[in-house]
Amino acid sequence: MENSFALVGKGYLIVAADTTAARSIVKMKSDQDKIKALSPHLLMTYSGEPGDTLQFAEFVERNIRLYQIRNLYPLRPSAAASWIRRSLAESLRSRHPYSVNLLLGGYDIASDDPHLYWIDYLGTLSEVPFAAHGYGAYFALSLLDRYHDPNATLEEGLATLKRCIDEVSKRLVVSPDKYKVKVVDKDGIRDVEL
Amino acid sequence: MSIMSHNGGSVIAMVGKDCVAIASDLRLGNEAMGISSNFQRIFPVSDRIYLGLPGLATDVATLREKFRFRVNMYTIKEEREIKPETFAHLVSSTLYEHRFGPYFIEPVMAGISKTPTGGVKPFIAATDLIGCLNFAKDFVVAGTASDKLYGVAEGLWEPDLEPEDLFETISQTLLNAVDRDAFSGWGALVHVITKDKVITRTLKGRMD
Amino acid sequence: MPGSMVAMTQPVQQSFNPYTENGGTILAIAGSDFSVIAGDTRQSEGYSIQTRYAPKVFRLTDKAVLAVNGFAADGNMFVKKVKQRLEWYRHAHAKDMPIRAIARLIQTMLYARRFFPYYVYNILGGIEEDGTGAVYSFDPVGSYERETCRAAGAAQSLVQPFLDNQIYFKNQTPAAGTQFPQHLPLTSVLPLVIDSFTSATERHIEVGDGLEIYVVVASGSTSLQGLQNLRGVQEVTGTTDGERVFVIRRELKKD
Repeated sequence: MENSFALVGKGYLIVAADTTAARSIVKMKSDQDKIKALSPHLLMTYSGEPGDTLQFAEFVERNIRLYQIRNLYPLRPSAAASWIRRSLAESLRSRHPYSVNLLLGGYDIASDDPHLYWIDYLGTLSEVPFAAHGYGAYFALSLLDRYHDPNATLEEGLATLKRCIDEVSKRLVVSPDKYKVKVVDKDGIRDVEL
Repeated sequence: MSIMSHNGGSVIAMVGKDCVAIASDLRLGNEAMGISSNFQRIFPVSDRIYLGLPGLATDVATLREKFRFRVNMYTIKEEREIKPETFAHLVSSTLYEHRFGPYFIEPVMAGISKTPTGGVKPFIAATDLIGCLNFAKDFVVAGTASDKLYGVAEGLWEPDLEPEDLFETISQTLLNAVDRDAFSGWGALVHVITKDKVITRTLKGRMD
Repeated sequence: MPGSMVAMTQPVQQSFNPYTENGGTILAIAGSDFSVIAGDTRQSEGYSIQTRYAPKVFRLTDKAVLAVNGFAADGNMFVKKVKQRLEWYRHAHAKDMPIRAIARLIQTMLYARRFFPYYVYNILGGIEEDGTGAVYSFDPVGSYERETCRAAGAAQSLVQPFLDNQIYFKNQTPAAGTQFPQHLPLTSVLPLVIDSFTSATERHIEVGDGLEIYVVVASGSTSLQGLQNLRGVQEVTGTTDGERVFVIRRELKKD
């Protein structure tokens, strides 16, 4: 099943999502990137109903890009979170709601600090120091309660993320085997191999 | 589980002597799983009116945005601040607009208004999710710990409490009520609104 | 019509629900050498009041009082059976059963009906063999625990957090250099019991009409002073020179 994790540290934000694309009980693909780079300093994981996920993620991506083109500067993470939340909240009471859960994280170059937002398909928005979606959340959140340190270095942050991924692999029956990990800080977005 | 208890959370408001208090817990959950221990569900409407929105978290944000917009429109058109009584009716009619597909929120509001003689009049009110108003003289409660809040508040509250005593009463009521509720807790926030200032304090609570 | 043919040939299943819920609330608080066991006297079914005076609190012995809440028919039958077992004990051993033994007896009696339970919550209060006040609370199938205070029934959710605050001093910090008392005196406990019930009556429709407070006092306790000249108090002790049992009856709102 789908899992995604994220945590903020000192001047950076780590985001991880599994890479499996499943149809019923069949793994169709095991190298799918479910983390979108919405702008030079903004990342978003998406999971949920297949079809809805990519459709909504691309909708968000294009609107964030449009804002950047129109205004010549990108949307800040908090503003992007509010806009995405509103889109989901409006969708919820529409004829066909998107069922997509998101983790939105970005580095705010204006205030020089990382931000992470937990967003679910209902349009629930909450800024958090760490977050997770999927069954893996039941394991990861406990570990993050114990080990997360907002002042930790990137190496320590990645070690904490690895604890979460390892625990999920060990204890969750329907655990994915591969994760894509991305980091965003003042220098922008980059992929990380655990 | 019902929609009203999907995210958990509770709010209470109390009347004191020339002051009012409003308080809530800080938990945001996804059914039994805790997501955040810093989820604010009380918002300032004006300098002297606060609005608490317990219920479905997505609607907390949606209604907060909606009320901010509508109060701003009122202030611009009327060229004056909205009175607590008027705001209560704004809340009521906004919710009733969605009578057959409601927002899953039971708002609680607290404020004080100035009387023509120069005194102040405390005001609290609550509505159900479709906007049926309840103007209480003593206290109003809502959220997943509402029955517990009723029990404790009924035992602790007394008329004409001074701001500091009202703070203690509302804090004890909230903390002890949410400690018996699995869906509320994880810290609390209290506002005491007096004639010339608002006292805001964050309370430590049990984290289980 | 084929639909009605199906309906005629289909067997109709009848069902009978052997339980109802009769409202009301009970509560017990233990002191150092006394115990207070209280219950309201309203008995209701749905929105109807069946009677304004149906006792839920019963004197078992001079050192044990049992409060029963839930399904009234089961409650009355259960109390009857407990009393019968206690009488047999008296005939066999020429003394009253100690309260901790009554507590264990109640567990076995409740668990004996594990798959057709007495639909009742029991709270047992009284005096332990060492002279201390005791409260035992049970679930319908016999799981039990000794505590200092417990509320049960329709207004449990209203009363219990209030008791947490006022009896256990939860969320309160003692003044520097002081400690909270382990047990409160009877003069503090009685007003708390009365306040709990007036509060519950105010906010819960199934609570009201009358209040019966049983007070079991260890022999030689200082709590006796001031108890006898209380309004509406009546002594119901069975024997001399032992624990003494009193009932205090009060009116509650009837709306």
